[in-house]
Amino acid sequence: MKIILIMFAIPAILLPAACVLYIFYQAMPALNLSLIFGSDISVVGVNSIGQSILPQITGSLLLMALACFIALPIAFSIALFHAFWASQNHKKLLMTLLQMLQGIPPIVYGLCGLIVFVHTLQWGISLLTGSVILAIIILPLLSNSLIHAFARIPREQTDAALSLGLSKLNVIIRIWLPASWSNILTGLLLSMARALSETAPILFTATVFSGITWPDSIFSPVTSLQTHIFYLAQEGSNIQAIHTAWASAATLLLLVLCFSLMAGYLRRYDTT
Amino acid sequence: MLMLRPSMLASFVWLGCLTAAFSIAVLLWFLWDNAWLFFQQFGIQTLWLDEWYPYENLYGFLPAITGTAWALLIALLIAIPCGLAAAIVSSEIVSSTWQAWIRLSMEVLAGIPSVVYGLIGLWLLLPLLQSQLNLLTGHSLLAAGLILSLMILPTIMLMAQDALQGVAPEQREAAKLLGLNWNQQLLRILLPQAWPGIRSGILLAVGRGLGETMAVMLVVGSLDRMPQPFYNILEPAQTLTSRIGREMGEAAFGSLHFSALMACGLILAIVAVFFSFSAQKMRPST
Repeated sequence: MKIILIMFAIPAILLPAACVLYIFYQAMPALNLSLIFGSDISVVGVNSIGQSILPQITGSLLLMALACFIALPIAFSIALFHAFWASQNHKKLLMTLLQMLQGIPPIVYGLCGLIVFVHTLQWGISLLTGSVILAIIILPLLSNSLIHAFARIPREQTDAALSLGLSKLNVIIRIWLPASWSNILTGLLLSMARALSETAPILFTATVFSGITWPDSIFSPVTSLQTHIFYLAQEGSNIQAIHTAWASAATLLLLVLCFSLMAGYLRRYDTT
Repeated sequence: MLMLRPSMLASFVWLGCLTAAFSIAVLLWFLWDNAWLFFQQFGIQTLWLDEWYPYENLYGFLPAITGTAWALLIALLIAIPCGLAAAIVSSEIVSSTWQAWIRLSMEVLAGIPSVVYGLIGLWLLLPLLQSQLNLLTGHSLLAAGLILSLMILPTIMLMAQDALQGVAPEQREAAKLLGLNWNQQLLRILLPQAWPGIRSGILLAVGRGLGETMAVMLVVGSLDRMPQPFYNILEPAQTLTSRIGREMGEAAFGSLHFSALMACGLILAIVAVFFSFSAQKMRPST
């Protein structure tokens, strides 16, 4: 029995390391400093795919940062509503709703966003559209983790603070934020990793293949690492493009892992 | 507890909640409205018609639905045994150092973006399949299923491991006192006790697998045709998500084609919400 179990488990245990190693192995030929600092910025055209992916990196990070910037206050207000104003029934309903929203596939949000933001509101294919869609996608995750972060603060502390005559605002600033900053940060980091790895919803709503180094305004399109990989992966005949695709994949993976592993570390640090 | 006069905090909270509710309601309403237009025109029977040619106004959903079902089924057939076995091995057999390492590696696997999986599928899996099975290109439902199984493995494994470790120590002690050997302990005590958690992990994985777009889109081949015969998983096919992803860019806004894509999106959303909802309902109350 044990032998059979171990045999089944071996692929599952070995595959993660194999995947990561394979990505970096394939990325080796193109992973060098010119990938980031090279002056030859990718331009449109079948055979002239350049080296530098710096615009893509900044585009991805911009999208992520703006999405978090939009989602964070809203998630905070949902979490505070859950903590202060909601009755038991409301809480249950709210959690169910959040769970449902999290269940909807990102591509569906992308499709709706294409209609509402790009066509109806005439924002066009832009940084703003992409970050609003990403913000909606990460909102359930972020509010869930904020709600749990606040729920873990001992009830007595809040009661004591309230009975001392502190206003709710003061309770939040003086008691809740200091007590739960690591949990909040964990949730935020996880949401950032999520926003950075979503590709499908921004493919037709926020990004173009190339030609943008730094967006002029929030209404101009950006380039992003995720969609860059997608476009390059299909350039079957061009070996240089495939190398760049693997290198972009390795860069994206590093960025995402940076955020998600930091979140994992914080969670462990918090429980011990 | 209720605030009598509106303070800064209260107005901030209400503003935030209303913004969230309003924007999400608008998005979902547009989804519903467009899909409704489509179903009004073509009727519900498009769900089991098998021809999809947008330029001739033929919209049959059956090929994509079959494709989605096959890809998910293959993924689950691979990921459930492997994930469950890995969970049992890491929580019951190996030492806690190893356990931490396995858990970390699963978190890494869960963190790999789906487009990177697509890249791996396109440039590692497809050539392999092509040479091993003598296929034309390798684009197939089998490839989609294999990539999907890799993507849902962490969900199943991590949830199963949590469920196994949540079994009360008294239960294990009682099992040992009764003289049950390791196999009996596992099959009679641990797995039945952990089953609700494992089940909701599987349901969550189904929901995630349904909605996965980029990786599937790159390897499935995007050919709108019923598999011939219906269990042929070695030919290019189409799933609901890959259809949306492929045709979203080319469908003109406001056209029937676009409404048809919205209908795909609505079906996906309903099924995915159903799965995540049942995953939540069946989760053991802790």
